[in-house]
Amino acid sequence: METVWYALLGLFFAAYLVLGGYDYGVGLLLARDAGPAQRRESLTALGPFFLGNEVWLVAAAGILFGAFPMLEGELLAGLYPAVVLALFGVIVVTAAVQLRSRPASDRARGRWDRLVTAGAALAALGWGAVLGGLLQGVPLHADGHVAGVGHVATPFAAATALATVALVAVHGASFLALRLPGEAAERAARTGRRLVPVALATLAVAAVVGALSARVREAVQQPYPTVLLVAVLAGALLVAGRALARRRHGLAFTATALALAVPVLLVGAATWPYALVSTVDPAASLTVADAAASGPTLRLLSWLMAPLLPALLGFQAMCWWAFRGRIDGRTPVYW
Amino acid sequence: MDPLLLARLQFATTTSIHFLFVVVTLGLVTLLVYLQTAWVITKKPAYERLTRFWGTLYVINYVLGIATGIVMEFQFGLNWSGLSRYVGNVFGAPLAIETLVAFFLESTFLGMWIFGWHRLRRGVHLALLWGVALTAYASAFWVLVANAFLQNPVGYEVRDGVAHLTDFSALLTNPTLGMAFGHVVSAAVLTGGMLMAAVSAWHLIRRTADYALFRTSLRIGLVTAMSAVIFLLGFGFAQFGPVGAVQPIKYSNDAAAKSALIADWTARFGPGDYNPPPLAGAALGFMILIGMTLVWGVFLLPLLFRDWIIRLRFPLYLILLALPLPFVAVILGWIAREVGRQPWAAYGLLKVSDAVSPVGGGMMLASLIGFSLLVGGLAVANWVLLARHAHRGADDLALGRPPETDGARPDPVPEPVLV
Repeated sequence: METVWYALLGLFFAAYLVLGGYDYGVGLLLARDAGPAQRRESLTALGPFFLGNEVWLVAAAGILFGAFPMLEGELLAGLYPAVVLALFGVIVVTAAVQLRSRPASDRARGRWDRLVTAGAALAALGWGAVLGGLLQGVPLHADGHVAGVGHVATPFAAATALATVALVAVHGASFLALRLPGEAAERAARTGRRLVPVALATLAVAAVVGALSARVREAVQQPYPTVLLVAVLAGALLVAGRALARRRHGLAFTATALALAVPVLLVGAATWPYALVSTVDPAASLTVADAAASGPTLRLLSWLMAPLLPALLGFQAMCWWAFRGRIDGRTPVYW
Repeated sequence: MDPLLLARLQFATTTSIHFLFVVVTLGLVTLLVYLQTAWVITKKPAYERLTRFWGTLYVINYVLGIATGIVMEFQFGLNWSGLSRYVGNVFGAPLAIETLVAFFLESTFLGMWIFGWHRLRRGVHLALLWGVALTAYASAFWVLVANAFLQNPVGYEVRDGVAHLTDFSALLTNPTLGMAFGHVVSAAVLTGGMLMAAVSAWHLIRRTADYALFRTSLRIGLVTAMSAVIFLLGFGFAQFGPVGAVQPIKYSNDAAAKSALIADWTARFGPGDYNPPPLAGAALGFMILIGMTLVWGVFLLPLLFRDWIIRLRFPLYLILLALPLPFVAVILGWIAREVGRQPWAAYGLLKVSDAVSPVGGGMMLASLIGFSLLVGGLAVANWVLLARHAHRGADDLALGRPPETDGARPDPVPEPVLV
């Protein structure tokens, strides 16, 4: 049962990175848009999905708290600076996207748009550093607590943070290519195509830095799946680049979505059977089974989740279906 | 600096700001459900305009509710990892249920509601708002289930130094839950009603053109607020019994029960100061004072007859001046309930000093300052926008604007393609 819940936690966090990822990607690409009209168009493309995307993070945190209370405390407190960075970004984006169109002047809206971009960059950097931090392990002591916060700041965490920003930007571009009309879609696709090599380069840097880091080598328990998943990630990016060039925007979006889901799977698979690897005392590493809540809590949550999960996915799917297709003159404009 | 104090300050800051926004969310959504249902049933355009105007304020207010809510949820793990370690098996469940059952759906529905005007069928669009409202209430309920557990831990047993869930139904029948839920919901409806009445009063004082619209919302807001204040007082005073029984040090005057409890804690946790800070009692007193003041508002209700309330004008000023009171009262209420259980994170089970994360003072201070500035700044920006939109009135609202008429909007509409 712990494994199922661990998979569910991974599913929700991966869904957040995929869905929230294009929110942040669109936010980053606002910096590229020439004028207020273009920026508004990008945000209109995000439109009805934005709120429904951000809640996957809250739901993932809920599962982390309810089903993995041991992991929750140590993971968040252990990666304190990275998590705080990500949260800052998430809050700024969440507030700025929703508030940017409430003032009437273009200048005020422009200022909010810069906040959207800054928040998106912070959120992507923060979650990238969290994923990197999980891959390099934390100084978890036998008393169950993580000592200090300096261990997060490594070249590897910085590399994964930058790679995540690049991934998110490509993903945002492929989303815009899928949602924007005509020439705007072409422009987004061109941006995406140019960003693919950048994302591949940051990914390569992260992979090399990781392979050279003794901490990462020790923390990774399953080397073969790890290498395989890194290859899948690179492959997804290559497919996305090709698809954008051939105007197959649906395929490109699927590929970049995969590229954002893979890192979560990668972290989960690489450290398996541990949820949190200790760098100081191998015996103190937290296994998935030990991190999980006790039997009665998991049973209660399972009874709840069995009927609920289809409803959650159903209502999200309803949102995607009701607002599918490219935006046009009849699309409601609010953000 | 002492990380414990900093962590508590951060919790108090983010929670207070969060609370100020969620009471309005919960109160206004209740009124919106009434307005939009009335629109769908009667098909009167006046109700559509009312829904769009109050919906705009609701949606702006919602922004900070969600943003601070995210901080709240992560704060437990960031700053209070001892809490999830010791009671996470029990306390985590209602919070997980809250995020999955309530908050997840609430935001998904709201996204569709904002963008669903003129796009979804009327019935579906109304159902979405009902969904938003029901999940908002569910959210308040599950958060209070979690809070009630911290106030009065039940339904668990401690094995190997960790609390395990034994009886989930005990969490739902917790004596510190039922009346508190009624109290908080009444406070939210009161605040929503007061906000509606006060904004309407502002427009009626300024004699804006939209007389009929604001006359209607003044009446709805005032009647709602004054109905809620009765329940508010009822549920409020009803808490003294059950809470006094399980937390005699907080509200009860039973000296024997107090000293027995302190003796028990001293035996189990060593000597220490187990009396809650005097701040909690002062907050309680002032909160009751505000409640007693607001209840006088019922004497304004007869003035609704033949619009005397508008013609006399001074009641409008009274309503406007009273607007800050419910907001002050919810903060005082939070202080009375939460500071009143110090020094415990989980009452009689885990002290706050044992619950705080082993994070250094410098890091905690940076986090406190950073989050306070960020959340505080966003809150002020949000209130300014709310006030401007409230002042601007119900002409040319972005929410629910029909797509054909471009109106005075400066933004060009994207050209249709692939038709």
